[in-house]
Amino acid sequence: MSEMSSESADPNLTPLLDLVFQLITFFMLVINLKGASLDLSLKLPVLGSARPVEQHGKLEPMLLNIDPAGRVHAYGREIDVEAYVAKEARLLTEQLKQMGTPVQNGEMPVGVTIRADRAAPFHLVNHVLKTCQEKGYRQFSLNAMTREGK
Amino acid sequence: MRRHGRRRRKKRDQGTVVLNLAAMLDMAFQLLAFFILTFRPAPIEGQLALNMPPPEAVITKTPNANSDGTIGDVLSQNTLHVHVMATEAGDANEVKVEETPVTQGHFDEANRQRLDKSLKSRFAGATVPYDRVQVNVDGRLRYGELMKIIDVCHNQELPDHTPMRKISFSEIDSGGAK
Repeated sequence: MSEMSSESADPNLTPLLDLVFQLITFFMLVINLKGASLDLSLKLPVLGSARPVEQHGKLEPMLLNIDPAGRVHAYGREIDVEAYVAKEARLLTEQLKQMGTPVQNGEMPVGVTIRADRAAPFHLVNHVLKTCQEKGYRQFSLNAMTREGK
Repeated sequence: MRRHGRRRRKKRDQGTVVLNLAAMLDMAFQLLAFFILTFRPAPIEGQLALNMPPPEAVITKTPNANSDGTIGDVLSQNTLHVHVMATEAGDANEVKVEETPVTQGHFDEANRQRLDKSLKSRFAGATVPYDRVQVNVDGRLRYGELMKIIDVCHNQELPDHTPMRKISFSEIDSGGAK
């Protein structure tokens, strides 16, 4: 009895730690940091010819999610699109001025990414597009699924 | 003191350093749990990149000179107009290129090819008068249907083999759609 209590099991934890670190590395590499800006409940249109999402330049495009009822969401909350776009345009103008590349001809050098539900009527989507155009946005990316989701 | 030092040196020479990995493993498991719980796979999304100039008003066919003798809007002469009408349910009902009806009924694969052929014939010449497309859309049309039509326009090539990227939209009166 006394012999048994004096013995202690000392497993080699190194391989287990290696495995866990590999799993952590995997999750760190595939983590989607932009996920917060996407409304994953939307059913985007399906277009086989849609190209992978690209981003040019340092500045992030403005991302707007439009649900079937025409409500616009940004970073998980519903927004008043006129006020939001006006604020974003004002902030961007100031930022570009500080960077020494002021806005020319009133055209924003940053794009807008539209993620609209496939069931949204055009007049609601068009309202968002026109609001952005009025504030000088010209480059638009219309997001779509490259294949039908499950 | 001296005896102590001698004993320590002897231990170091003989034994191996055993690190307690349990604490590190605990921390690693916590990190792993965090990543697993916050993991949301990114949807497989693509995009259509468009350069959208502000839309122009729908113009008449011969805008070269206005009634007051001034020259018409030069920009609008470079624009190919595509008109899309919709049903009450928001499906595409009719697609016209300028004044020519191209498709009727639901915008299926056959109608998609018909529109593609019609647009290709207009963009086929060595000197194409158009450098942009304006899609005049019934306000009731569902966005998913519209995207199929935009996709066809987006796939057209100008004579210099640059893809058509200048596409704008205009809403046409759908008789109380709003």
